[in-house]
Amino acid sequence: MSEPAEHTAVRRRPYDGSRTQQRRFRSPAVPRDPRVCLWAVGTVLLLALPFYLDRFWLQAGLFAMAAAIGAIGINLLTGATGQLSMGHAFFLAVGAYGYCAFAGDGGDGLLGLGLPTWLAVPAAVATAGAAGGLFSPIAGRLRGAYLGIATLALIFIGQHVLFNAEDLTGGFNGRDVPPLSVFGLTFDDAEVTVAAVPFGAAEKLWYAGLVLLLCCGLFARGVLRDRPGRALNAIRDHRIAAGVMGVPVARYRAAVFVLSSMYAGLAGVLLALVFQRTVPDYFGMALSLEYLAMIVIGGLGSVSGAVLGAALVALLPQLLTRYSEALPLVSDPGTGGIAPGEASRYLYGAAVVAVVLFLPGGLASLTARRSSSTPGEDR
Amino acid sequence: MNHSTRPGRGRTRATATALAVLLALTAAAGCSSKAADGKDGKQGAGGVKTGDGVTDKTIALGALTDLTGVYATLGKSVTQAQRLYVKQVNAEGGICGRTLKLTVRDHGYDPQKAVAAYTELEPDVLGYVQFIGSPFVASLRQRIDRRDKALVVPQAWSAELLGSPYIRVVGSTYDIETINAIDFLMKEHGLKKGDKLGHVYFEGDYGENALAGSRHMANKSGLELVEQKIKPTDNDMTAQVAALKKAGVEAVVLSAGPRQAASLVGVAAARRLSVPVIGNNSAFSPQLLGTQAGPALEKAYYVASPALPIGDDSEGPSALASAYAKAYPKDTLDNGVVAGWTAASTYGEALKRACKAKDLTREGVSKALRTMDDFDAGFGKQDFTDPEAPSSGQSVILRPDKKAKGGSKAVRGPEESAAARAYEREPR
Repeated sequence: MSEPAEHTAVRRRPYDGSRTQQRRFRSPAVPRDPRVCLWAVGTVLLLALPFYLDRFWLQAGLFAMAAAIGAIGINLLTGATGQLSMGHAFFLAVGAYGYCAFAGDGGDGLLGLGLPTWLAVPAAVATAGAAGGLFSPIAGRLRGAYLGIATLALIFIGQHVLFNAEDLTGGFNGRDVPPLSVFGLTFDDAEVTVAAVPFGAAEKLWYAGLVLLLCCGLFARGVLRDRPGRALNAIRDHRIAAGVMGVPVARYRAAVFVLSSMYAGLAGVLLALVFQRTVPDYFGMALSLEYLAMIVIGGLGSVSGAVLGAALVALLPQLLTRYSEALPLVSDPGTGGIAPGEASRYLYGAAVVAVVLFLPGGLASLTARRSSSTPGEDR
Repeated sequence: MNHSTRPGRGRTRATATALAVLLALTAAAGCSSKAADGKDGKQGAGGVKTGDGVTDKTIALGALTDLTGVYATLGKSVTQAQRLYVKQVNAEGGICGRTLKLTVRDHGYDPQKAVAAYTELEPDVLGYVQFIGSPFVASLRQRIDRRDKALVVPQAWSAELLGSPYIRVVGSTYDIETINAIDFLMKEHGLKKGDKLGHVYFEGDYGENALAGSRHMANKSGLELVEQKIKPTDNDMTAQVAALKKAGVEAVVLSAGPRQAASLVGVAAARRLSVPVIGNNSAFSPQLLGTQAGPALEKAYYVASPALPIGDDSEGPSALASAYAKAYPKDTLDNGVVAGWTAASTYGEALKRACKAKDLTREGVSKALRTMDDFDAGFGKQDFTDPEAPSSGQSVILRPDKKAKGGSKAVRGPEESAAARAYEREPR
């Protein structure tokens, strides 16, 4: 935030908004009051939630956090660089199953290396990165939709392996996820009472999820705001021009693919920890599409967009299912008529269409527009 | 923007506010509804010990079903049958002086939604009368066994689900069912030692559990097994029929879905592979008889099922069939109705026994279930004393019949073959 204002402005808005840019120019040190307040209140709320919310809500929040981490990753790839990937679910699976394989002790007859769990997390993320690296010769050479088609293969290969490599994945019914343990604190269902509130797995993981999400968000923001981010945007906007300017296009494409798969790997680890068991059904094509939906809804190419989109896509169906009885025209499941599950799908579809129609820049453009007079929005 | 605050001052103030709020919140956390209160083991009305999901007036039960995903037809029948059961029980005054309340959640066969729905209902219900999707049950097993201890009746018949005192499968598992099916082929259709037997099965626990049964049977009876593994998305069985014909099989076992059954039997008839085909209970639905494969199915297809068909003449099925047809006149009668009804009435019986033992806690209910060694909801005897074993080793062999209610008729009553009795599952 301390860098010269024109850099931020130019980088942030390559196309539009001379109004915004002028304002930002004019007042580089406008008061930070509302933003800081908002952040402070938000932080406190997030920290206090486990004391009040049911496990259901915490779990929903954790799904959203994991989704947000994965969405940040795919937004670096698709949003910032313009490379389409349909194979995100595959890397999530690599992260989730990688964690199980590194941390498992082999007691259930499945492959387990018995590493300490805190070490298994980075190892799983590195494995996801390595998987991305293996694919990077392809990822570096193909652009846009062509990469999307190539990554489709990953999904099918992944599904086949997950169902059939039973010694590693446990097959159809999946395998148990060893609980994470850091500095003697184990994120399992053993209850710890904090201020008279029993803390189970969901409550403890909530904080781990927040920390991970924060680190991931900050890191991605750093990438996007600095040299690599500009190079990526240049590749997206004009590949040849970027090459002429000296950006090694293939290398950057390959690198961002690896980075994005590492994000996906971490999201997979967090998801596995929340689920407490990984099942192959989850890591299908629908999941990949969901991640693409997140960044389109949230806003392409920004961290806040990815987080907002992830929150919406992860929470909306659960909210709708839970409160569907209160919606008009919806009948109790199993009594005929429109079932809540169906209703929530219609509404979800309508929401997606509405966002794409009326907010082409995604949800992030809403906040960006409102706070356009204050600097330092976290793109 | 006309803010007059100096930069920096705002931040200090915000930090102070945040700290104050945080302090207040932590102080208030003690008053949060989540604060620990020993809610289990209260004495409720009638001197009955109660816990989660049970008040003096109601017993809350959950059903995690699939009304919008791949098992939508099964989910609908099971759920409606269970609603019917709850309605009937409540009309008769409920159980233990309390009315039953069934909360249904549709997860659309999505793991995330299933886990979310389970978590949502868990604090408010005594247990679950229905849970479709064995991978999801398996994924929640740790939580159910170690923490929640709520009695769950999964609508899946895989042997993988056995062994928990809280997750109880009603009826025989797929491996037993397959053994009984092959036993039927050997006794009634002249399948003998040295013959080749085809087995077309889904990848995943359903098919592989059934395969364990047919492998056992092949070993014991000297049959040669010709295995064909398929995916749930494979709907055209032409290649499988060609392979089976080439191998010269004398009979075929099918552990797949209704669509595969129609394709397999239809193609086999067209290719003049005239051998009997027998499917597991999930490989049939009455709607198939309306398709072009209908006549072929009536001729050469059999289904092994853990319970009597809904169209059976005996008392239990006919009473259920007429009650269900009255409550849901527009819906087809199928064996999902039987599965739902049996699960709900098993649960109801466990509740009655738990009430008699004055212990309506979760632990009390699963203990009560373990005392039921000879329970019959009208569709076959069940023995729930051993969590390691399926509640029944019996299978009924059905034959598709257009004229029968529910599209099938029993050709061999509930029977446990000697081979099934002697079968010992490989330790997991």
